[in-house]
Amino acid sequence: MSARKLLLGVFAALATVVSFPATAQHAKYLVTTEWLEKNLNDPKVRVVEVSVNPGLFERGHIPGAANVSWHTDLVDTVNRDIAPPKQFQALLARSGINADTTTILYGDNNNWFAAWGAWIFDIYGIDNVKILDGGRKKWEAEGRPLSNSAKIQTAGTAQIKQPNPALRAHLQDVLAVARNDKQGVLVDIRSADEYNGKIFAPNGVPELAVRAGHVPGAVNVTWSKLVAEDGTFKSAAELKAIYQAAGVDGSKPIITYCRIGERSSHSWFALRKLLGYDVRNYDGSWTEYGNSVGSPISNPSGTVWGKT
Amino acid sequence: MSTLRYVSAATVLAAVFVAAWLLASLPEAGRSLSLSVLLGAAFGIVLQRSRFCFYCIARDFIDRKETAGMYAVLIALGAGTLGYHAVFGAFLPVPSPDRLPPGAHIGPVSLALVAGAFVFGVGMRVSGSCISAHFYRLGEGALASPFALLGAGLGFVLGFATWNTLYLAWIQEAPVVWLPQQLGYGGTVLLQGVVLAALAWAVSRRGGAKPVAAQAATSPWLAVLRDRWPPAVGGILVGFIGVIAYLRIAPLGVTAELGSVARTVASSTGWLPGRLEGLDTFAGCATVVKSVLLSNNGAFVLALVAGAWSAALAAGAFRPKLPSLKDIARNFGGGVLMGWGGMTALGCTVGTLLSGVMAGALSGWIFGAACFAGVWAGLRAVRAPAAA
Repeated sequence: MSARKLLLGVFAALATVVSFPATAQHAKYLVTTEWLEKNLNDPKVRVVEVSVNPGLFERGHIPGAANVSWHTDLVDTVNRDIAPPKQFQALLARSGINADTTTILYGDNNNWFAAWGAWIFDIYGIDNVKILDGGRKKWEAEGRPLSNSAKIQTAGTAQIKQPNPALRAHLQDVLAVARNDKQGVLVDIRSADEYNGKIFAPNGVPELAVRAGHVPGAVNVTWSKLVAEDGTFKSAAELKAIYQAAGVDGSKPIITYCRIGERSSHSWFALRKLLGYDVRNYDGSWTEYGNSVGSPISNPSGTVWGKT
Repeated sequence: MSTLRYVSAATVLAAVFVAAWLLASLPEAGRSLSLSVLLGAAFGIVLQRSRFCFYCIARDFIDRKETAGMYAVLIALGAGTLGYHAVFGAFLPVPSPDRLPPGAHIGPVSLALVAGAFVFGVGMRVSGSCISAHFYRLGEGALASPFALLGAGLGFVLGFATWNTLYLAWIQEAPVVWLPQQLGYGGTVLLQGVVLAALAWAVSRRGGAKPVAAQAATSPWLAVLRDRWPPAVGGILVGFIGVIAYLRIAPLGVTAELGSVARTVASSTGWLPGRLEGLDTFAGCATVVKSVLLSNNGAFVLALVAGAWSAALAAGAFRPKLPSLKDIARNFGGGVLMGWGGMTALGCTVGTLLSGVMAGALSGWIFGAACFAGVWAGLRAVRAPAAA
């Protein structure tokens, strides 16, 4: 064996050892489409679809899946809050989730709202929650079976715990980091044009803030960088490198945000679950921050609402 | 001569199949675009072969007491009601009070719906066809139909311009009535069945004239390819296509793409209000600003024209004729009325009446009644001879 080959072998072994904990995280919080198809009939596995687009579930979903509507099931529409405990408890019962159930969440748009679901499941202390890697996109692309019969599940008995505040950031937490009163890293997962203030929001988007730009000090790591072409999350080593390049290494607490807090839960999932960092999701996000009085912003483009 | 007709019809149909085959390979949206093309072609063939034209049917019944077409519509609604409710049972096992079946054309019941449907009916009378029939007539070589569709585009823009006012005055607080929420699936099917049977009875009571004697087919081939299909066959097939379309893609509708094009053009020129309040929250022939070149509805409508063209070629009914200036003006004017009415009522005879009634939506029934009244009033008030 040449010295070069030996060196390469040592490096490869080292890389495996270093990335092992994170790889294990992938296995702990993600399941493959192949695994799910094999385990669909396991009574301890319950599949839950959280899609952005209405009507997808009804026209074909993973057989036996429960349908969760993020617009109404996962939010409190009156208080602009996450689903209140009673509502979430009822959702668990309706979805047939017991204490020993392994819940697999999946959805369209690269699992955006499945990740939002995972965040809320985590806040309420429900264990054994995983995401189907690649979501609907991969399942459909592989031609795996879909069903359009909605099933009424036997009521589940899983009990929620007190909401965990350590997973959620509020406006004052973000302001504290923006004003350097607290240590932390803000990760803005929106497009570069939104981050730089060139546009207020992408075309056709109804949720707006009157200011464009980002929270001072936030770094821009667009969520789409985290997934491969087939919608699966990139490897732990790749994710680590992407964040490292933006100065996010897990040494300080992290806050993720987007426009309304749903897509940022996708990045929250990658950072918290797959890389094991200390991360909170800011669900108020730019629609709250950009509109809130007395909050400083950074707007490199200098755009001003209403100025022509 | 007939060989040439059949070869050209088969060529058009083959082109449709090739398009469906090519579209199927597109990632993500490919499968549904491909199916939209196949369903559109089937719908076009059925409309053309069975002369399923709402205006002609209503006019024949009102003026000539001919009943065949009316039966076809009632049969289509009955077949579709059965199929839709079977699908609902799979989608939503229990009709829940706070949920509507996805995408079903269940609209708000308001004065705007009544006004829109009535004006649509008058527009049908003026232009000589409803929008779906203009599409299939296009396949028969009706060269005035593009002007009706152009007029409908302008009508849509006028509809967008008046939308916010009507929405705030009448639509926003209007009830959205889905009958299964009150009666359950079984109760709704029963009620609609009884109402359709009662309407069929009423039609038979009024029907006076003898039906046009069907030309006896000399062979089964001619019965399919040349002769008009019996109304019941047309009605059942329309219901069947409606159910398959709802199950796999979306309810039947022919104005969504037209409306989207109108909205996209008008938006880019700044003619429209910056926001159309609440419009995009309604199911129906929704008219989103276009973001992709080919939508399911666009593919469906193009294939509808191709399917009708192929059917017309086979039957020897493809007869392009240059329209007179008067024809053009009438088609365009009627189109404007239909565009405004269709936009305001969130769909037309296919989207709101057919798909709505099949889904157990009260809005579908109201549209049907007001639209029929519009045709009736139009026949009394507008003296222009019908082109159809």
